[in-house]
Amino acid sequence: MARPPFTNDIRTLRFLAGEMTQGELGDRVGVTRQTIAAIEQGKYSPSLEVAFRIARCFDKPLETVFAWSDDGG
Amino acid sequence: MTYREKTTWLIVVSMAVAYTLYFGLIIGGHPAGREMFPMLWLFGGVAATQALVVIAGYAVLAMTTPKAERRRPDERDRAISRRGAAAAYYVLMAGTIATGVVMPFTDTGVTIANTALFAIVLAELVHATTMLVSYRRGWHG
Repeated sequence: MARPPFTNDIRTLRFLAGEMTQGELGDRVGVTRQTIAAIEQGKYSPSLEVAFRIARCFDKPLETVFAWSDDGG
Repeated sequence: MTYREKTTWLIVVSMAVAYTLYFGLIIGGHPAGREMFPMLWLFGGVAATQALVVIAGYAVLAMTTPKAERRRPDERDRAISRRGAAAAYYVLMAGTIATGVVMPFTDTGVTIANTALFAIVLAELVHATTMLVSYRRGWHG
């Protein structure tokens, strides 16, 4: 399956947030650990609500977490 | 593999085995392909056995999977399930049309019932298989 036309820095932000686990982030966002893993790997495009919730967890603007990539499509 | 993938595999495998046996017996000449009561007994037996296997499988998976992994479906699970249902819809429609085509050429309701049952089983297998593929390969709904 084609990758989404955007990348994300969730893994880096988790590391910078005290090595937060995927499960912890999932609990705070309201999705499963597997969904966080799928988003990080570019296997799932989250809804706008989940994208904003992730950004709020790191206290960052949305465009810091997700960035448009011309390579992806 | 996630808990939801495991339960979907359980449904796919149990359904494939149960209804391969059911339709295999019918193709092999079992009276369930021609007469109503043998069909009801065979179908009832196969469906009940499959239900018991699925219930037992769910119980085993629930006991062997941590509670944190068994939480309610999130938006990705629901999106993947919707994708499976959308794919299954077309199979079910084609099966319904096929059942309608069979009707004028049959004397008993058993053939019609078996054709409709085949369409339902096939649609459900497509539903579950699409979900498994989506979990493995990713889904950008």
